[in-house]
Amino acid sequence: MRRTGFLFDRRYLLHETGPYHPEVPDRLEAVYSGIKAGGLLRKLNQISASVAELKWIETVHDRSYIDRLNDACVAGKKVFDCPDNQICSDTYLTALLAVGGILDTIRMMMQGEIDNAFCAVRPPGHHAEHSEAMGFCYFNNIAIAARYLQIEWHIERVGIIDFDVHHGNGTQHLFEKDPTVFYYSIHQHPSFAYPGTGREFEYGTVDGYGFTKNSPVLPGQGDEEYKRLIQRDLEPAFESFAPEVILVSAGFDGHVDDDMSDICLSTPWYTWMMTRIRAMADRYSQGRLISVLEGGYSLARLPELACQHVEVLLDE
Amino acid sequence: MFVSKSMTRKVVTIAPGAGIFEAYEKMKQHKIRHLPVVDGDNRLLGIVTDRDVRSVMPYELFKDPDLQKSQSKSLADMRIVDIMTSAPTHISPSSTIQDALLLIEEKRIGALPVVDDDGRLKGIISVRDLLRAFTNVLGIGDPGTLLCILVEEKVGQLKRIVDAITEEGVSFGSVLVGRYWDEGKRAVFPYIRTQNVAHIKRKLTQMGFTLLEPMEWYLDQLPSDE
Repeated sequence: MRRTGFLFDRRYLLHETGPYHPEVPDRLEAVYSGIKAGGLLRKLNQISASVAELKWIETVHDRSYIDRLNDACVAGKKVFDCPDNQICSDTYLTALLAVGGILDTIRMMMQGEIDNAFCAVRPPGHHAEHSEAMGFCYFNNIAIAARYLQIEWHIERVGIIDFDVHHGNGTQHLFEKDPTVFYYSIHQHPSFAYPGTGREFEYGTVDGYGFTKNSPVLPGQGDEEYKRLIQRDLEPAFESFAPEVILVSAGFDGHVDDDMSDICLSTPWYTWMMTRIRAMADRYSQGRLISVLEGGYSLARLPELACQHVEVLLDE
Repeated sequence: MFVSKSMTRKVVTIAPGAGIFEAYEKMKQHKIRHLPVVDGDNRLLGIVTDRDVRSVMPYELFKDPDLQKSQSKSLADMRIVDIMTSAPTHISPSSTIQDALLLIEEKRIGALPVVDDDGRLKGIISVRDLLRAFTNVLGIGDPGTLLCILVEEKVGQLKRIVDAITEEGVSFGSVLVGRYWDEGKRAVFPYIRTQNVAHIKRKLTQMGFTLLEPMEWYLDQLPSDE
């Protein structure tokens, strides 16, 4: 059994997105209830959030963009940049708490208090670009986490695995020129799904060429195709990159019962995926592994998905 | 949508009296396949392609350019005017990119010199330039999601779809309409700038539209003429 952290804070529910929006506070309630029902809470090192220092947000985002989001929330705006990005007066605070909680969790892991962790945060982050909010995302949580590891903990090589059903355009673009952060994403093919990036031929640019890898998957595919691509594309890439820490953009929206995509993954696939990732973390990263929630919108499936996700991290 | 907006303006050209190797080097250096041939007054005389050049150069020369001086005396004497296509198909800067697309497809060529009314070369528009223009038109450089909706072929269907999506505050990257679907049907492909597609799909379904399975989409249903 491992010492697994579980970041959850009721203030993550404060970010309200209005009617007809799938990225709702109930998602986190579903995640929490699943972990609780599985009897896992007492086995976990429970972590609550703190507000991130702006200097960490600024490792990834433009200061004027950060201020613009704050201003929009203070002004009581309901939409930020694009109708996908529904906000409320607490969105800015919630986004800062998401980053702050993740950085605290990483610090605990680097100080040896925990081995790995699942961060159940809102809002998600992987679509957020340097100075643009996109696809329900404001601050790119996973990208800031990678920079924090490098700057504060002198980690040279960070490996990011993104299995959200949508391509993490923000994360890819933030690191595409950087050979010290390997970004791998498996997602529904961009011709059929948001955001339209993450094509097979995107490998990174200049110095970062070869440190981005995408596995687009056609609609209707499921477990077998995902397993084949993970073994063909991800595992050899991480074997040669040998990340010192692995970060996971954990999106559960490729599940067959999630209506945000046409991908048909089963619950056992997510367990299989996390087990493979844990094995890679053991092999290359001294087990150091931080998983951060991205998408996943099926309130019926999130409890079991979150529960099994954490069970793999606990490794009983 | 005019050729003048999409063409390459800084054209690499060659003189009719230039040698074959000069043309070869120019194309290699600039990574291009078409060289308009112009006179001293920048009037278009012809066009020479990498294929024209390659077809007169022996294969050995590609492997060892040093051979060119000793073994290819006659080739060195050959001039562009001897191998160029004279009076090539060209287009006007005020033509549209649709004109260029149809002309390039009809003539099965890779590029069109752009020539003004006085016969002077103004630019060149290649298949690559057209691809860039149409990538822009499709809106696929921006984030979004493509839907495929099957509709009855009658007036007003597209308006209902556009209105329904617009009511949700979602904007469009592009809207394509498939011309030949099942009899009496058309396929509408809105590229919409949102990730929140489930809600929009539900709304369209409730309005009576049929959303097609992504794997059944096909944009081009024209019978192949090959």
